[in-house]
Amino acid sequence: MDLLEEYIKSGRIKLNTHKYHETFTVHDPCNYVRKSVMIYNDSPNNGEKCRWIAQQCIDPSLYREMCDDPLNNFCCGAGGGAWAMPYDQERLDYGKVKVDQIRDTGAELVIAPCHNCRDQILKGLGAEHKKKTPGFDMGNYQETLYLWELVANCLEYEPWSQEEIDAAHAARDAQFERDGIELEEE
Amino acid sequence: MDQAVEVKRKDRKIPVGPEMADRCYTCGTCGGGCPATGLVPGWDARKAIRAIVFGMEQEVIDSKWPWVCTLCGRCQYQCPMGIQLMKTFRACRTARDRDKVPGPIHKGTMMNLERGNNLGIPRDDFLFLLADLGVEMENDEEQPCPGFYVPVDKEGANIITTINSKEPFGEPDDMKFWWRIFYAAKEDFTVSSTNWEGVNWGLFSGDDPAWKEQVGRVIENARRLKCKTILYPE
Ligand code: SF4
Ligand code: SF4
Repeated sequence: MDLLEEYIKSGRIKLNTHKYHETFTVHDPCNYVRKSVMIYNDSPNNGEKCRWIAQQCIDPSLYREMCDDPLNNFCCGAGGGAWAMPYDQERLDYGKVKVDQIRDTGAELVIAPCHNCRDQILKGLGAEHKKKTPGFDMGNYQETLYLWELVANCLEYEPWSQEEIDAAHAARDAQFERDGIELEEE
Repeated sequence: MDQAVEVKRKDRKIPVGPEMADRCYTCGTCGGGCPATGLVPGWDARKAIRAIVFGMEQEVIDSKWPWVCTLCGRCQYQCPMGIQLMKTFRACRTARDRDKVPGPIHKGTMMNLERGNNLGIPRDDFLFLLADLGVEMENDEEQPCPGFYVPVDKEGANIITTINSKEPFGEPDDMKFWWRIFYAAKEDFTVSSTNWEGVNWGLFSGDDPAWKEQVGRVIENARRLKCKTILYPE
């Protein structure tokens, strides 16, 4: 998160803010927001940073707040390893709180800066929503994106120079040789 | 007749200090704000803390509660008495016999210790996949990235990044998001050929030695390759 912020602030990456025209909201992963503050007392906290980064990618007028206080936002329901645990029904039921929150924002996109939360909101809760399972109505919801997925999709690329490309190819070939990698020619 | 409950601190399996569970005044803030309340019959955050105070920790350890609780920390953050609920429930996980840890997180942890990632992906498969994805990105139809490849074991790189094993295993294209950002930023990054796992299941299974071992390995990779910054790409 700090790295993305630094890239954007320093101008190392440039973003096209016209890729997405959907309303969007941001989910706060417990580990990076609340627990990080509990341990490191970081300020601004990662929830605030994530909101800022997302709003560099999509027009801020489309932003819909999920929780005014990122530190007290609710867990997606798959935290603490629950995504991998055999208690699927409990995991989904836990997520109903998140479902209600997302519905109430009215947002179409949910931005999740965590692998685990993204899986729960996209493949867990989002799938139930699309199946129209009672209790999982997420309103306007369409899609969940990783924060870095959103950033990657909005990138404006500055072309590399021929020297840079040649140097990269030489380094790559040396590495493949060292590691014994042979790719089939296309 | 009611019997007095006497609990000797030193007999406890879960180390609760007097500044912890003993202070609970049963206000219910923890359970009230917890989405897991009602999911495990007979248990919620407050009841679990009370049970531990009364020396019934084995019942909490044997219950599903500490595993359905996602260790989200909201209760601990809110508790007016500063009781460390999340830490306590994780300690309950630690106190479970390892063969009774639910799901794959203990097996994955052991796999990681043995083979360097939770899913046991062999080194050669991994390196081949990275090479292949690099070529794909170079020639991508929509947005080609000429000159891109995934630097492996590159000494002195600015950033060393871990990988979430679910991606090489099942969603390899998702690794490209970060790589595209690195490409656009012309970042000098690298990936280690071994012990690259970024998901620490030891943390969730309550296995402290494995947790520390995995953190140690990630740091060791950075030292070996003389990288300044470690990135967990989340
Ligand atoms: S919030 Fe704290 S004091 Fe209140 S019931 Fe829960 S553990 Fe006890
Ligand atoms: S840490 Fe566990 S008990 Fe506490 S609020 Fe989160 S899920 Fe509930």
